[in-house]
Amino acid sequence: MPQTSKGLVLIADAESSVRDVMHFYLRRAGYQVLQTADGHDVLIEMAKVQPDLILADLSLPGISGDHLCKIIKKNPDTRDLYIILMTRATDISENETTIEALNIGADDTIIKPLRGQELIARVDSAFRIISMQKEIKQRNRELTAYRESVQRDIKLAALLQLSLLPEAGAVGPYHYTHIYKPVGGIGGDIYAVSPLPYGGVAIMIADVSGHGVTASLISTMVKTSFENHIRTRGGPLIWAQCMNRDLARNTLEEQYATAFIARLDPTAGTISYVSAGHESAIYIADGLSGEPRHPTILNNACSPLGMDESMSFSEYTAPFTSGDRLILYTDGLVEAESSSNKILGSDGLLGFCSEMPSELEDAAALIFDQAQLFIDPNKFTDDITLLVIDHVAN
Amino acid sequence: MLNIQTKQEGNASVVSVKGKINFEVTTQLREAIKDLIATQQPKLLVVNLEGASFIDSSGLGLLVAARSSADKSGSRLHICCIPPQVKKVFDQTNLTNYFSIFATEQDALRA
Repeated sequence: MPQTSKGLVLIADAESSVRDVMHFYLRRAGYQVLQTADGHDVLIEMAKVQPDLILADLSLPGISGDHLCKIIKKNPDTRDLYIILMTRATDISENETTIEALNIGADDTIIKPLRGQELIARVDSAFRIISMQKEIKQRNRELTAYRESVQRDIKLAALLQLSLLPEAGAVGPYHYTHIYKPVGGIGGDIYAVSPLPYGGVAIMIADVSGHGVTASLISTMVKTSFENHIRTRGGPLIWAQCMNRDLARNTLEEQYATAFIARLDPTAGTISYVSAGHESAIYIADGLSGEPRHPTILNNACSPLGMDESMSFSEYTAPFTSGDRLILYTDGLVEAESSSNKILGSDGLLGFCSEMPSELEDAAALIFDQAQLFIDPNKFTDDITLLVIDHVAN
Repeated sequence: MLNIQTKQEGNASVVSVKGKINFEVTTQLREAIKDLIATQQPKLLVVNLEGASFIDSSGLGLLVAARSSADKSGSRLHICCIPPQVKKVFDQTNLTNYFSIFATEQDALRA
């Protein structure tokens, strides 16, 4: 196509005189022009070159204009090709002819006999639309490519985040498992179970405010901060204070994390903990018996981590001995709403915990399944992490 | 969509919210509070939560940031009329002492 051409127009009309007149006007207006006298030739030309616009006569021999229009518009590869059907105002009105042509998929119509000025005006108008369509397609391609690249990144980040969670297993007498369901593949929930070199096990479950990539980045910060501070001696109180300082200094004002931070001591048979604005942990004495039990809540709420450096925290100690079970979770589980607008709440969760299977994995599955049943047919809208820790006899 | 209404009471601005304060609406509420502070420069900002049916961690974060901005600009933030289901979240996060909380809007304006 010459550089100066405004675009490629394919004229399809049986009458050579009509084609020649159109050719003349269109060339003069700056378009490159191809001609055919037969509908089959239009398809052959289309396979060789890519016209921007087809001007086809309704009563074209070979394949008629309307049939041609249907073929082109049906094919996903060619359906965006702009088609102007040329019709004759005969025994029916001009309006009806136009409506009929548009109904069969033509983008515009021209009534014969042709007037040069009208032809050019319609073709110019068509090319303005074609140009806009091309621009929209290009933008769509760019947006699709961008969306795909973001989705790829999020998928990778989600895999990385998943790899930060400890796999189900055992540390000393403590056996643990988790159910982790982030909304949108990536989220702000995190947990850690780490043996302490000076005895016992440090555990943490945290939920960062907000959702998505930012929450996920902060959750890794929370985990790193936790792992740094448990290396130094001390216990949950010192760890919470240090983590609070780290987060307050390194996140924006609205960003914070709720966390349950604890040290399990197998020698003393205790759990020392700080509940930093987090959902209450559930403790079930003799919870591994498989018999009905009375679960209790380890409450004593302190402020979340990272809101303010001056926040103070308190540490509490409770028994956690052989045969006991501990259930930790994030608010996505208990803030789940049923179709009748009822919130599960920690009371609802306590109900599920009164009679649990002794098997660890079964216990976690039971809680999650019951919660899902409670909200059914609704879906969870927030990240969910459920961590079950059993103190198994040596 | 959160229903947000604002009004002036002397040197105080009152923001009343109706609906769920969650991640989806925090931008809307943040902008409303920001606009109010920029246009009215109130000595006291009262957030009336009477119509709030729910608040999540994003909503709490926003209130914490609003209190912090108020502190920095020499004004105060009071929260009033917290419904029981929302109060539970404040209690659980131990934020009832962090914020100045009042039973009625009149009390919040007078204090």
